[in-house]
Amino acid sequence: MLREDLSVSVDVQREFDRLAAEWKRDTAHLSSPTMIARHEAYQEIVGMGLVAIPLILRDLQKGPALWFMALGIITGESPVRTGDRGNIEAMRSAWLDWGERNQYI
Amino acid sequence: MTAQLRELFPYLADYRVTSPQDFRYNCVAWAAGTGEGWWWPGHGFDWPFEHTEDESLSTFIRAFNTLGYEPCGNGTLEDGFEKIAIYQSSYGEVSHVARQLNSGRWTSKLGTLEDIEHGSPVELEGDRYGVVVQYMRRSSSGAGAQMEMTGVTNPP
Repeated sequence: MLREDLSVSVDVQREFDRLAAEWKRDTAHLSSPTMIARHEAYQEIVGMGLVAIPLILRDLQKGPALWFMALGIITGESPVRTGDRGNIEAMRSAWLDWGERNQYI
Repeated sequence: MTAQLRELFPYLADYRVTSPQDFRYNCVAWAAGTGEGWWWPGHGFDWPFEHTEDESLSTFIRAFNTLGYEPCGNGTLEDGFEKIAIYQSSYGEVSHVARQLNSGRWTSKLGTLEDIEHGSPVELEGDRYGVVVQYMRRSSSGAGAQMEMTGVTNPP
């Protein structure tokens, strides 16, 4: 990997970490996916597009977080089985499996 | 976490934390009497009522109607009834649902944070959840009372 590419990657990771921490801090008390996804930091991450997918999935590997709306918007995919909707752990597993199948993680 | 809760909800005074933080369920599921599932219309979450992606207040009222609740005028403890309180943000969006306990106090699941027991629905009003816009009640001999008695309201 070119050094230049690596430095960009580190910058992107750092920016993602900052935005993700801000979003989690500000929305932890919310239940509404609309209100959770409207947060400016979340929208900035969505705006990063496919670059954000491995970053989101790696964050999801560390523990549950309501990244599902962002993943759906960016990828257009919906790997969660209907019967697993609302089951946060099953939703998380479905997206992590999807990420592995599609070589994002 | 106590300090964080007071920052989030400045009117919160008479309360105690009654669970660890938990992602498995949200305020709507908790108000309905279960400690499993993130219940919300649309967005790929569970909505175990009539299918809809409409997140308006009327959707939540209809949902709790199916659990036996009818709109009522206040959150005062009434013999023979259990109540819920539905909150709406200043943007007109449903933001939270709390449930009255047999003692007359209230229980709330705060998003992905803890459950708390609080003295009044008003304690959670403010910038975060807005205000209570609808109280509902049902006979306490209904399904919720049965769930409470069998421990469904106490997630592990």
